[in-house]
Formats: sequence, structure tokens, C-alpha cells
Amino acid sequence: MIRITLAQMRRSVGRLAAAGIAIVIGTAFVAVTLLAGNVITSTTYDSIAAQYRGSDLVAGGVPVDDAGLDAVRQVAGVSSADEQLLSFQQLEHGNRTIFQGVLATPSDPAMLPLDLADGALPAGAGQIALPPDVAERFGVEVGEDITLVRNTLVDADADVWEWEEAREQLTVTGIVDDPYGAYSMFGGAAVAPATEVQAWEADLLAPGEVSTEPSTVLVGLDDGADVEQTRAAIDTALSSAVTAAGGDASDLEVVTPTEHAESVAAQMTGGDNIIFTTFVLVFAAVALLVAALVIANTFQVLVAQRTRTLALLRCVGADKGQLRRSVLFEASVLGLASSALGILLGTGIAQAALTIGSGMDLGIPLPTSIDITPAVVIAPLVVGTLVTLVAALAPARAATRVAPLAALRPADAPSSARGAGRFRLIASLVATVIGFVVLGGGVAISTVGDAPSDGILVALLGGSMSFVGVLVGSVFWLPRVVALAGRLVGASGPTARLAAANTLRNPRRTAATSTALLIGVTLVGMMSTAAASARLTMDSELDARYPVDVTVSSDLSGDGSDAAAMPVGLAGAIGDVDGVATVVEVPATLSGLTGPGVDPGAEVMVRGVTPDDATSVLRSPEMVAPLAAGTVVVPEGIAEVWSITDGQTLTFDRPDGELEVTAAVTELQDDAVVVVPADLATLDAAAPTTALYVGLEHPGDAASVVPDIQDVVADTEAPVNVMGAAVERAGFEQVIDTALAIVVGLLGVAVVIALIGVANTLSLSVIERRRESATLRAIGLSKGQLRGMLAVEGVLIALVGAVLGVLLGLVYGWTGAAAALGWAGEPAIVVPWADVSLMIGVALVAGLVASVVPARSAVKTSPVEALATE
Amino acid sequence: MDTTVFVPIPDDAPAPGAGAAVTPAVRARALTKTYGHGEAEVRALDGVDVDFAAGRFTAIMGPSGSGKSTLMHLLAGLDSATSGQAFVGSTEVTGMNDKALTALRRSRVGFVFQQFNLLPMFTAEQNITLPVELAGGTVDREWLGTLVDTLSLGKRLTHRPSELSGGQQQRVAIARALVAQPDVVFADEPTGNLDSRSGAEVLSFLRRSVRELGRTIIMVTHDPAAAAYADRVVLIADGRIAGDITDPTPESALAGLDALRTVGAR
Repeated sequence: MIRITLAQMRRSVGRLAAAGIAIVIGTAFVAVTLLAGNVITSTTYDSIAAQYRGSDLVAGGVPVDDAGLDAVRQVAGVSSADEQLLSFQQLEHGNRTIFQGVLATPSDPAMLPLDLADGALPAGAGQIALPPDVAERFGVEVGEDITLVRNTLVDADADVWEWEEAREQLTVTGIVDDPYGAYSMFGGAAVAPATEVQAWEADLLAPGEVSTEPSTVLVGLDDGADVEQTRAAIDTALSSAVTAAGGDASDLEVVTPTEHAESVAAQMTGGDNIIFTTFVLVFAAVALLVAALVIANTFQVLVAQRTRTLALLRCVGADKGQLRRSVLFEASVLGLASSALGILLGTGIAQAALTIGSGMDLGIPLPTSIDITPAVVIAPLVVGTLVTLVAALAPARAATRVAPLAALRPADAPSSARGAGRFRLIASLVATVIGFVVLGGGVAISTVGDAPSDGILVALLGGSMSFVGVLVGSVFWLPRVVALAGRLVGASGPTARLAAANTLRNPRRTAATSTALLIGVTLVGMMSTAAASARLTMDSELDARYPVDVTVSSDLSGDGSDAAAMPVGLAGAIGDVDGVATVVEVPATLSGLTGPGVDPGAEVMVRGVTPDDATSVLRSPEMVAPLAAGTVVVPEGIAEVWSITDGQTLTFDRPDGELEVTAAVTELQDDAVVVVPADLATLDAAAPTTALYVGLEHPGDAASVVPDIQDVVADTEAPVNVMGAAVERAGFEQVIDTALAIVVGLLGVAVVIALIGVANTLSLSVIERRRESATLRAIGLSKGQLRGMLAVEGVLIALVGAVLGVLLGLVYGWTGAAAALGWAGEPAIVVPWADVSLMIGVALVAGLVASVVPARSAVKTSPVEALATE
Repeated sequence: MDTTVFVPIPDDAPAPGAGAAVTPAVRARALTKTYGHGEAEVRALDGVDVDFAAGRFTAIMGPSGSGKSTLMHLLAGLDSATSGQAFVGSTEVTGMNDKALTALRRSRVGFVFQQFNLLPMFTAEQNITLPVELAGGTVDREWLGTLVDTLSLGKRLTHRPSELSGGQQQRVAIARALVAQPDVVFADEPTGNLDSRSGAEVLSFLRRSVRELGRTIIMVTHDPAAAAYADRVVLIADGRIAGDITDPTPESALAGLDALRTVGAR
């Protein structure tokens, strides 16, 4: 039987290969994911190992004080023992501020995991060595000075912690490289003398307070010292020292650097890398599910095409089990071979990515070669083979149903498979209906019930359930949709009508092919719809929260007490910055405030802005809509603080002026009330311009424009503050866009596999319909028409999958966004037209492309074959 | 024994009916088809000259491997000739490109196959009208009605092939072949897949199509009983024309076939 199976496989090798591609891609995806997880682990391991490069033993797990260190130094065989200390400090130079980890110099310079690239290591107080990119950003050379801004805790009473800021000049003595990536996750490390770093850390503690943080002690051994003996001796010495100081030594560990790195990396494997791997594997699972549909389809066709052979085998004595085993054996061979290829492909891709990645400067030292663990080989192999086997189960059952009599029937084209059973219909209906109800419930819990985290979970459950229902039931409804679409295109001519009729000949196969595409497109559509909805919801939220793109203000304290006039010409200079659309000068004055019901002693900042300026520069102009002469716009927050009600009369009074206006309370988020400049002049004719409102041409460019504005402001050396709300907004949008791009990229694999499935289905149909194609050619179908027919078929299958996927994706995207963002106000219903048209365009082109190869083989069919008897 | 006598034709004789005043519907001149090269060369058709008159039902008969199917393929432009010429009316088929051949098949040539070859997803009527639609023409409803009446398909038009008997399917196929009113219909063993009663029925319909509708049909068969329905039988053996029987009967056709075997054994 195996011989027969292998012979059959040889005959259908082309068709099997086409199906195998789906599994190859799926398993390659899994392999790459696992390899990437390994790279994360090994990068972490290398980085930790690099931190202890040079030391022979690492003691840690408990706080170690000077007495403890001394105790270790006393142990025979120990040449040096230092606490590894990394202190994060604020460094400044010019306008720039950088938070930088500063490492204490060890007593034995060999223990420093950094390389000196230039100059010398700091030897005394007031000296520091910087990482190269920090020196570059500051624009300082060896020998120049930078400023250290650090805080000292001067008083730590029960509630009030009082800090004192100190600014110290430090001379850059050298540049230290981090060639082993020990501190790559902190952007390298600066180096300062140990005594200095210890002092900085100590200043962060209250007088007399002792750090309870576990220390890490790097120990160097004398040449020839026995590691195990010394380790035991250090353990003993240190635990008695710790106990003597009143500590608990039970967590004390003395390990070699390798052991240490391994244990930290092991913790990592259970953390970051598991999250990453699980996240990506979810997408790999989607890709494999789609691959399974493609495989199931192919086997269905193979079995149908072999009906006569199978029947013949039954006639000569093969039993049902043998036929089933034959199909399953074939699937196993295909699964194993494809998975093996997939692993090869995956490792190839991963290695190529590493090679390219290490060629670029990513700031993280990547391993030069991939680490092929058993899991990387076994997991994809097992998963790929299993998926293929499971996909072949139904076709295998179909094979056993071939009656021996079928061998005697004339060789007709395989007839269409029977529709699915009643159970399937009911199950899918129930799952769909209940799923959508639960989904709706989730949205309700989130929006009406105001419990978004519960709501999202419920919605996720309902969404998944309904999607499974929709997919399981696709065999019932999808062919109808194809029929409808076919009728529409069929009106355009006989070729299209032929194509439409062809897609309906085997509704199950068409459904499976379209469904494979539907899965990917639905998920992509859902993500892009949700992202678009989220962006719009966030936009209105951000508009309210950050009404002005960039505010330049001299009101440093925020209460107006120290507001000074803006330097002359600053507004013009900012207006000249590329990307700035408008600059509005906003005068303001501090004023007392009285009115019926208003709390006594009220005092607010009053800004003067013309309604036109407000409209042009504010992201949410409706919040200052009531602004007019005689009206003051009062932000909600201020109204609440001083008990101001909407529509009431307010009297502002200053020593040199008074103003009576009507209050209009709006949702504006500001720390000042707003009047028109003329009213402000009545109140204070000499109100200084204390703020500039800056509108950007494209808020998305904030990240590049705002620093330019900061530079312009810094040049004036005036004590003003630049607040770039737009930067925050751009940050939010970038997070959404990046997340979307990653997710869509991962789902793209599933879409690619599905498109291969479309091509596969068409190829199989062409092979099946050889005689029919020949007949059509004989009765006058031109080659062009035959190509056209297949193109329409491909496009029909692909488009139906894509359009339905987009529609489902919209529904899931909207409900998902409603469930997740319902708390942030009315969820916006957005159709991401660009993404939608892109997806449908891709499906259209892919359907056309998928028909090219099958069409080529179809037009080669000579009309003579219509006359052939077998 | 029938009175019609089998007359072997010498190789150098002029083609039968060559002197007729009207242009024959189909003719072959020195038509040759060889497969393979050198030692392995097989002459499937060896310089065949033959005319088929319009408005007649002609059978091409011969034992398997005689070249009768090859002759039909070349005449219909389904296969390319090694040398010689084939004409449909006054149009030379040999040497036509695919586009011209497609146009020829659309309007001037019809086919009836042994396996019926109906499209399973279309009804009988859709199958019949398909050639006209593929050519972008409009169906001549009157002619369709005539065909349907002649072939007794009136009640079957909305049925799909799977709901029709073999004989009915073949009648649909005949209607499809005739719908564009082609100059000639080629039928390849049209009764090969039918029981004898359905076969007889189909053959009578083919004959009626010729007698009542004035069509031209060339049928390839190895069955003397089928050949007897034709107005004329052209016998072929070893790739050459080996005889010609006018108004054949089953007996004369069989005798002709037997004689061929003798000729072949000679």
C-alpha cells in the first residue's frame, strides 16, 4: 500500500507541492518566531554576562555594606571586591539634558565591562567618562566640562520630603565604549569614581538610612586560587558580616558570572520573551489555520480525482482502513517534508535578518548566528505535520466512501461534494448568534456599564465565538454570496457567466478557498478599523486635552505670579520655523475676581485672544466659541474651583482697571480664563504677552518641529517654557500606527497563504476540467476568453473573500473599538477607506495573478482532448 | 447481400466526386500526418484526397488505428497536418492560426463528441446556445425552435445534463453543434457511449438533420450499423482511403470493413 501511495504522490507531485507551500510558509513563520525569541534570550544573556566580564565570582542577593565588602576582601584568594553600582543622574550641557546611568569605577580596572576609547578613566572628584553618543549629543570633547544636576534629600519628615538641587561641574576625562552591550539597554554607561557615585546614591537616602536594595559584589581572584573553595569562604565570610549588621543572609548567593547570567536569562525566558513569542505565535496560528484550509482543499480534490483509482483498489481487495491510511500517510509525508522545508526557510530568513541587522547599528549587539535549539526544529515540524494530518482527515474519510462500483462508471469529472450536514448548520448558527449577542453585551458592559476591562474580555469572547460560527457556516452562505456576485458579473457576457457557473460547481471548495482569505482579511480589516476608530476617538480626546499644539509660556510657576513679557521678536522667530503654521501672541494679566456666588478671594489669570486667532490656533475651537466682547470663557476646572456658574456676571478687578463680563463655562482645559484683547486692555492696559500659542502645519511632524522651536527659544536665553502637546499627540498616533503596522504585517502572512490557496484551487480546477476546456475551445471559446474565464473565477473567489472579510472586519473593528474605548467618549465609527481599498485592490490583483499560471496550462489544452475517450 | 458493391479505389484515381459542379463542403488534398521521426515514424495519414459533398451525411469508417480520427481532426482544424491541405468550403484550414481556427469553429464547424461533453453547470438550453453566445452573436430563436422540435428536446430544455439520459444528452450536443448553422458538423463516434436503442435514435436524428434541415455531417465510426445511417461511407485503412460505399446498408458496410481487413492482410 505504501508503494501505491508513493506512486500516487509522484503522479500528483505538482499539486502536492502547491499545497505544501502553504505549510512551508506557516512553519517558517513558527520557526522564525521561536528563533527571534532565542535571539532575545541570548541578547539578554550576553548583556548580563558582559556586565560581569572580568570578575571571577559575583556575590549578591542581599545588601552588602562596607564591612561586608571588607570581609570579602579578607578572604584568602580574593584579589579585589567591589560593589557594582549604577546611579542614574541628570547630565546637562547647553540646552540638552540627558539622564544617564553612571557606573562606579571598580578598584581593579579589569572588572570594568567598558572599554576606554579615548582619554582616561576618571580618577578623582569632579571627573566623568561618557559613552560616545552622549558626548556627541552634548558636543563635548575630552577635557571639556558638563553639568551634573542632582538632588539631595535634606529632610524626610513623615509627609514632606524636601529635596535640594545641586549643580556641579564635571570634567570629561574620557570616552567609554560598550562593545559587549553590557549596558545597551540603558544607552551605554558613563563612569565616575566609586567614591563619587557612592556619595550621590547616599544623598538620595535620608540621613542615617541604609539601603535595603540587594547589592552586587564583583569579586576578582588571585591567580591560581581555587574557585570552589574561595566561593565557600566568601559565602561564609559574607553571611556572618551581613548577620552581624543585622541583616538576613538567607538570600545570599555567590555564583560565577556564567551562572548568574544563566539564572537571569532563565527568568527572562519566563517573562519578556514568552510574551513576545506567545504574541507572535498567535499570528502564526492564524497563518497555520489558513494553511490547513488550503491543504484540506487540495486533498479533497486529490481524492476526488483519484476516485477511479481508489475504487479500483477497493475492487482488488483494499479495505477502507487501507485507503484512509494511504491518504493520511500521504498527508504525513507532505507535512513532514513541507515542515522541514519551512524550518530551513525560517532559519534562513532569521539568519539573513541577523546578518543584515548586525551590519546596521542597532545599538544592541546581536548574536552573529542563530541559535537552533531543539524546540526550533521540533515545534514547527510537529505543528506543521499535525496541521497537515488534521486537514487531511475529512478527505481521508471521503476516500473510504468511494464505492468499488465507481471504478466501473464512466470517467466523468468529479462531481461536486455534497453539502454539509444539519448539525454543522445548527452549530454555526448558534455560535454566530450567541457570539454576536455576547459581543454586543461586551460593548454594553464597556460603554453603558463603564467597566472597559470586563467589557473587552466579554467582547473578545463573543467576537471569537461569532467568528468561528461564521467560518464554520461559510459553506452554507458563502456559495450563495458567490452566486449573487456571479450573477452580477455574469450579466457582462458569456465568459463571465461561465466563470460564475464554474465557481458554483463545487461550493464547498469555493467556500473553503474564500474562507481562507476571509480569515486574514477580516483580521486585518478589524485591526485597521479599530485603529482608525481609536485614532479618531483619541483625536477628539486629545483635542480637548491639548487644545494648543505648542505653548511657549513665561508663566513658569503656572499661577501667573512670575509671568514676564516675552522677548521681543520671539513670536516672529518661531513663526519662521519650518512646519509652524500660526503663532498667536497672548497677553495675560493676573486679576481678582468677584461675582454672585463666587468664592471670595478668587484670583485668576486672564488671557486676551481674538475669536479669529482662537479659531485658527486651537484644535478644539468650539470650546471658545462663546468668546466675544463682554463675555469671558471660563474653563470647567476653574469654574469648579471658584464656584462660577455659566451665564453669571463676573467682575474682574485690578488696581488699575475693572471689567464686568458674562461668564461662559466650557470644557476648555486651561489654567486661565479667556476674554477678547479689548476687554483685557480695559482691565490692564499694559498686560504683557506671557504666552505664544503655536499651531503646526501637521501635528504629526511635532517630533521634529518642536525641538526646532525649543532651539529658537533657547537662543533667546529668556526664562520661558515650551510645552509641546503636539509631541504627545504625535506620540499617541505613532504608537497606534506602529502597533497596527506590526499586527497587519504578521497577519499578512495568513493573507499570502490564502492567496496561494486561490491559485491552488484554480490550478486544480483547471486540471479537473481539461476535457471541458477542450470542449469549450472546440465550440468556439478563444484562448483569450479561456484566460478571461479563469481570471474572472480567480477574481470572484478572491473578491468575495476580501469584501466579506472587510465587512466583517468593519463590524469587529467598530465593536472592538467601542468595547475598548467606550470610556473615552462616543466611539467614532470610521471606515478606513484607504486600507479597505488597498485590501480589495490586493485581492483583485491577487485573484488575477492567481489565474495566470492555471490559465497558461489551460490554453495549452488542445481541443482534440475533448474527443479523447479517457 | 445488398446490391451495392464495394469497389476498391486505386491510389492514383481522382478523388471521388472531384468533378462535381458545386464546391464540396469539406475536402482534403494529399493530406498527410506523421508522428515521430526516422525509424519510429508513423504515418497516421498518408496523402489522403477526399471530398465530402454538402447536404450529405457521410461516415468515415475503418478499424482502430486506421487514421479515421486523425483525418477528422485535420479536416476540422483541431490538429496540424504534416503536409497537404484541408478545406472547409473554399477556406483552407491547414496552416490557420489559433485565432482564425477559433473563428472557424464558432461559425462554420460544429462538433459532436463520444462523451457528449456538455457543461454540467448549465441547462440543456444554455448548453445549446453557448457557441452563439461565445461568438457574441444572438441566438436565432426560430432556428433553435426548429432544432428543438427536430431533436424532440422541447421538454428537456431546463434540465441539467445530470438529469438527462445519455441519448438525450447526445441530442442536446447535436443541437449545440447545429445552433450556429455551421457548414459542417463533425461527429466522433457519437454512439460510442450509448446503448443500441439510444444510439439508433441519435443516428436517426443526425440523418433527419441532414435530410430535413439540409445540414452536412461527417461522422467517424467503427460500427457498420451506425455507418449504414449515412448517405455514403468512406472507408479508410492504414492512413489511406480504401473504399467508398454509396447508400450503405449495415451489411454492405460490414462487407466493406471485412474487405478492408482482407486488403490490410494482403
